[in-house]
Amino acid sequence: MSSPADPAPSQTFLQKNDFLIRRLHSLSGLIPVGAYMCVHLITNASLVGGVSVFQNNVFSIHSLPLLPVIEWSFIFLPLIFHAVAGIWIARSGKSNLQQYRWVGNRRYTWQRITGYIAFLFIFTHVFHLHGWFHNEWWLKTIAEPMGMAKFRPYNAVSSLASAMTGIAWPIFYAIGVLACTFHLANGIWTAGITWGVWLTPKSQRRASIACALFGLFIGSAGLSSLVAVKTTDAMEAAKIENAMYDARIHAHTITPDDHKRSDGHAVEKPKSELVK
Amino acid sequence: MIAPGNEASAKRRPTKVNVRILRQDGPGLPAYWERHQVDYEPDMNVISVLQKVAAQAKTSDGLKVAPVAWDCGCLEEVCGSCTMVINGRVRQSCSALVDRLLEDDANEIELRPMTKFPVIRDLCIDRSRLFRSLERVKAWVPVDGYYDMGPGPRISREEQEQNYPLSQCMSCGCCLDACPQFTKIEIQRQPAETEADYTTRKNASFDDGFIGAHAISQAMLFNAHPVGKIMARERLDALTSAGGVQDCGNAQNCVAVCPKEIPLTTSIARAGRAATVYAIKKIFDR
Amino acid sequence: MGSNRVLVVGGGLAGLAATMKLAELGVAVDLLSLTPVKRSHSVCAQGGINSVSDMTRQEGDDEWKHFDDTIYGGDFLQNQPPVKEMTYWAPKVIDLMDRLGVTFNRTPEGFIDRRRFGGTLYKRTAFAGATTGQQLLYALDEQVRRRESEGLVKKYEFWDFLGPILDDNGRCVGATAQDMVTMQIRDFPADAVVVATGGNGLIYGRSTMSVFCTGSAASRCFQVGARMGNPEFIQVHPTAIPGADKLRLMSESARGEGGRVWVPRKANDSRYPKVIPENERYYFLEERFPKYGNLVPRDIATREIFNICVNEGLSVDPLRMSVYLDLTHIPRAELDRKLGGILEIYEKFQGVDPREEPMKIFPAVHYSMGGLWVNYEANADGGLLPGSPKNQATSVPGLYAIGECDYQYHGANRLGANSLLSCIFSGLFTGPGIVNWIKGNRVASDLPKSLYEKAVAVQEARHKKLLSNTAGDENPYLIHQELGDIMTRAATVVRDNKQLSESYAKICQLSDRASKCGLSDTGSWTNQNVIFTKAVQDMFPVAKCILKGALQRDESRGAHFKPAFSMPNLTATEPVAKRAEAEGWCDAFEANNKKFLKSTVCTWNGNEPDISYEDIDTRLLPPRPRLYGLVGAEVIEQVWKERSAVIAAKNPQSGKKQLTGTT
Ligand SMILES: Cc1cc2nc3c(=O)[nH]c(=O)nc-3n(C[C@H](O)[C@H](O)[C@H](O)COP(=O)(O)OP(=O)(O)OC[C@H]3O[C@@H](n4cnc5c(N)ncnc54)[C@H](O)[C@@H]3O)c2cc1C
Ligand code: HEM
Ligand code: HEM
Ligand code: SF4
Ligand code: F3S
Ligand code: FES
Repeated sequence: MSSPADPAPSQTFLQKNDFLIRRLHSLSGLIPVGAYMCVHLITNASLVGGVSVFQNNVFSIHSLPLLPVIEWSFIFLPLIFHAVAGIWIARSGKSNLQQYRWVGNRRYTWQRITGYIAFLFIFTHVFHLHGWFHNEWWLKTIAEPMGMAKFRPYNAVSSLASAMTGIAWPIFYAIGVLACTFHLANGIWTAGITWGVWLTPKSQRRASIACALFGLFIGSAGLSSLVAVKTTDAMEAAKIENAMYDARIHAHTITPDDHKRSDGHAVEKPKSELVK
Repeated sequence: MIAPGNEASAKRRPTKVNVRILRQDGPGLPAYWERHQVDYEPDMNVISVLQKVAAQAKTSDGLKVAPVAWDCGCLEEVCGSCTMVINGRVRQSCSALVDRLLEDDANEIELRPMTKFPVIRDLCIDRSRLFRSLERVKAWVPVDGYYDMGPGPRISREEQEQNYPLSQCMSCGCCLDACPQFTKIEIQRQPAETEADYTTRKNASFDDGFIGAHAISQAMLFNAHPVGKIMARERLDALTSAGGVQDCGNAQNCVAVCPKEIPLTTSIARAGRAATVYAIKKIFDR
Repeated sequence: MGSNRVLVVGGGLAGLAATMKLAELGVAVDLLSLTPVKRSHSVCAQGGINSVSDMTRQEGDDEWKHFDDTIYGGDFLQNQPPVKEMTYWAPKVIDLMDRLGVTFNRTPEGFIDRRRFGGTLYKRTAFAGATTGQQLLYALDEQVRRRESEGLVKKYEFWDFLGPILDDNGRCVGATAQDMVTMQIRDFPADAVVVATGGNGLIYGRSTMSVFCTGSAASRCFQVGARMGNPEFIQVHPTAIPGADKLRLMSESARGEGGRVWVPRKANDSRYPKVIPENERYYFLEERFPKYGNLVPRDIATREIFNICVNEGLSVDPLRMSVYLDLTHIPRAELDRKLGGILEIYEKFQGVDPREEPMKIFPAVHYSMGGLWVNYEANADGGLLPGSPKNQATSVPGLYAIGECDYQYHGANRLGANSLLSCIFSGLFTGPGIVNWIKGNRVASDLPKSLYEKAVAVQEARHKKLLSNTAGDENPYLIHQELGDIMTRAATVVRDNKQLSESYAKICQLSDRASKCGLSDTGSWTNQNVIFTKAVQDMFPVAKCILKGALQRDESRGAHFKPAFSMPNLTATEPVAKRAEAEGWCDAFEANNKKFLKSTVCTWNGNEPDISYEDIDTRLLPPRPRLYGLVGAEVIEQVWKERSAVIAAKNPQSGKKQLTGTT
């Protein structure tokens, strides 16, 4: 009789590493993906403070060396892992909310639903603003003609505002933000059980309240940036952005990069060079 | 021995009780609904309804049918035999009082077999997977033997009060049936297969499935025992193998349906903590 | 050559204890049960398990007193060596259970807590909340699962035992059984068969027992030649809640923890119980038995409650006879800690919180003291000889009986919390004896196949006949109900010869009708109908034993109470006359013992039980009047004490301890 702990030879890779995968999934949801989302939404919320504040933040992000490497190793890959594993996990269960309409079960089901929404949202969102890959050919022949890859970091607000014209995109973003927020807040709560941080029903209830407050905070940060985008005048913003761009080039805190600017400015030479 | 007469009550009582039962003649056969009607009596539970159904063996249309098969034992919610899905919720049928059920739906009581275990016949299901899980987590104290060796280890009142609730688990399987992460595994015996081969194959596929809240809780119970602890690592190995504690998605239905009100989610969280510590230790102790 | 195997039938406390002990001794075991063993009836046991403890010892208790209480409680109807051995083993049994992880309640310092139970003055009873049986059963179930995973035990759950297989010399060499799912009937060759199939409460229709307690297995052994002992002794528990499908027990532990039984002094007092002032309450047990109070033995408490309701008309409920069992004076937290399990049962099924409102309870059939007759071999100290193959052996060689289905330990009345003890003890103790029995015999698996095929064929024939019965369409469920009604009326608290003999005749007719059951299910897959019908048919031989045994026993002893043959109450008031009356009483008592202090032994003649009587082994403790300090009967005890002193002076070697009983 084989001891139940020995993995049977017939087990697949996934079965043998079930525990590890689940724990990495949980971890990846918290950091880096969850942590990134917090930073990201709070950065976006800085739009409320005005165009220059937000543009400043974007500048400092984009002044990071080897940005693509950071993006891929700390954001995209963990996210893809979390998403793929998440879908695999979500498909392994079978919600029975129809039968048992308790809070815990609702949360369980919504964690899955929001996971799927997050998947669609992030997939589209990153295409929409980031364009997925910053490869010249890809951007010029596929992404941009499709109306995607809209974001220009050095014209952060104006390009964002133009991406958000109309009502469809803002609604899409609002849903996405809410879904992601629920997913993260509830995810932190479940992760606390998964890792054994909160044990008893009482402490779980307390943690639950804390997570809800956290979700409220992050969610409103996300939504406020949407409101801010919709209430900002793109033309005015562009003027400020360009001025800031010039100033930065002048101060040599960034290097010129037309890909990161809106088309209208791409042909203009930085003032600093004109002076020369 | 019973005294004559029954409690009078001001409440209006029906004269008949209608039940709708999901029947199935055997494994792999189609399931079908059947309606029965029995005389109402005060203080009835679902078991006494089923007893009447069995005794009359006739549907409400007067059709003669084979009596409905079901399991029961203690009739006081300690043996775990009589689990079924009553009005959409998994529970013990002996403690399901008809008056209470009729408050939900005065027309009919709906009975279905448990949904996560293979149906043997009608309301009888095969819960061998549940007991297999107990074997998987080695839910016992590994004493040397049964000779007289004096008393066991001293146990404080706190420990007893923490462990006693867990030790009340009657293996009814409610927590499994209500768990969205626990899905049905049904293995049929193949014609040429020996009993032993069949059991081995069945156990192997059970072992890949989610182990379930009850077994996680039992593992925690025995890991808390001064002698049971000796096998803590083996239990954690089982809990972190395929289908282990990590498969719980924190739906917390288990704790809501457990008739013994066992703090299952606390056990799950404790198992999570122990598994974390154990997994890290394993890396550094190697 | 094949290897040795033992078949254990029944996985309650007794069967599991035997299985794990046999496995420890290296014997392969097949374990057969109607239900997954973890669901056996033993889970229902609530109150606790008895043994002398370090604490009671310092209060003057010892094993001998536990022995004395058990014998006195059983009205001297037990052979004494097995009881002595059991009580001397009791502390070891508790220690073992403790080691196995049973979650016994603890004192603040961490020792096993104890409570008081009926029929004793010491707090001997270890308990795990109010689910002691469940906790004990699970501990044993876990050990057996462990042995199963090691490969020495093979379980057959959802199998119905159909009967022992005897070879040409009458030795039991296995059994037949039926898979309740596939309906397959097969043989289980075995070098010894141990039946541990529990009580037979279902003969009474409704009782405090589980639906598995049909007694069918013991009956099947009886019908092929095993003897039955003391079948008429049925314990009716004083405190249960009547229900439509079951009579749910409210454990004696409720009284052990201070619960008080009372009724309003005034008949038909419809006031809410909590507003009835103390002086208008009749605590009848406490008043009549000041020494033992609410903890008199069960037969006495039951008769008192029955009497209060039936003869004195003081039932607290006009429609359903009952008295109050009151816990409301005990703090909630303590109740939850010690009695949670039963209070939840009451709350769940009655919809009333017993912590707030007194419970309404009435007696219910609870335990069979009688059962399969078993042998023993005494040692020089008057205990049992360890390892003797005679211990727990039925009259069929190779067939053993343990647990509630044997007749050995409880005489005419079982003391509360002694049964769990007798089950575990007999299960553990019998192991080495069985090993010794096996050694001396040819291995069963080497016996001719034809022997087994024949036995299977007999059972298959019975099965087929039932399925294709054209003789009638009697409904087995209704027959069972009728049987229960008759038995409940005739053979519970109060017994009367006319009613017993009429009932016996009725049962004989009913038994004929039961053989003409038409089945509503004639299929061959999980046919519960046919399994139940067989069980009902097999209840009749036992029911006949109970009635006939009761009919022939013209006395009152323990649970068997015949007012027409009871010892009279003392009526004189003047001391000298009273004294004379007591002398007469004691003479009558001695005369009665000469006639009836005997085990009833039944054998089956194919149609009816034949009854004979067997002397009781009272080598350790001479019988004495069982009065429990009844008010007004002190003089009897006085007279008896003086008589005993005279006897003791005449032959000093016959037990110096004989007067240390707790009267
Ligand atoms: C409600 C209640 C409370 C009690 N409380 C206490 C208490 O507090 N203290 C105390 O000491 N005692 C108590 N008792 C008594 C005690 O519980 C029983 O006497 C004891 O559990 C019997 O155990 P057992 O092992 O003999 O049989 P059981 O536990 O009844 O087991 C019988 C086994 O035999 C099997 N079986 C039966 N028939 C067949 C068949 N035909 N084929 C195959 N298998 C069969 C069953 O499946 C089962 O596994 C209580 C009893 C009741 C009813
Ligand atoms: C208020 C709503 C949101 C706004 C306005 C917004 C804005 C942006 C912008 C402008 C970018 C492009 C950054 C760049 O290309 O340098 C971006 C990228 C990205 N966003 Fe959002 N975002 C929002 C919500 C979210 C949410 C909820 C998530 C979920 C985690 C998310 C995940 C990402 C990711 C993964 C990228 C690509 C990472 C990168 O470019 O470095 N966004 N977002
Ligand atoms: C992109 C698509 C995503 C999918 C399909 C997805 C799916 C899931 C699923 C199914 C779970 C539940 C796992 C379980 O309970 O066992 C989960 C948990 C979690 N997810 Fe996601 N998720 C996605 C994106 C995200 C994002 C963007 C974040 C962070 C902002 C995130 C953070 C978390 C966290 C913290 C958990 C909790 C882990 C735990 O319980 O241990 N997920 N995810
Ligand atoms: S944990 Fe509760 S629901 Fe689950 S098997 Fe045990 S008693 Fe039943
Ligand atoms: S319902 Fe299932 S998902 Fe976990 S919390 Fe309970 S085991
Ligand atoms: S019959 Fe035992 S739990 Fe319902």
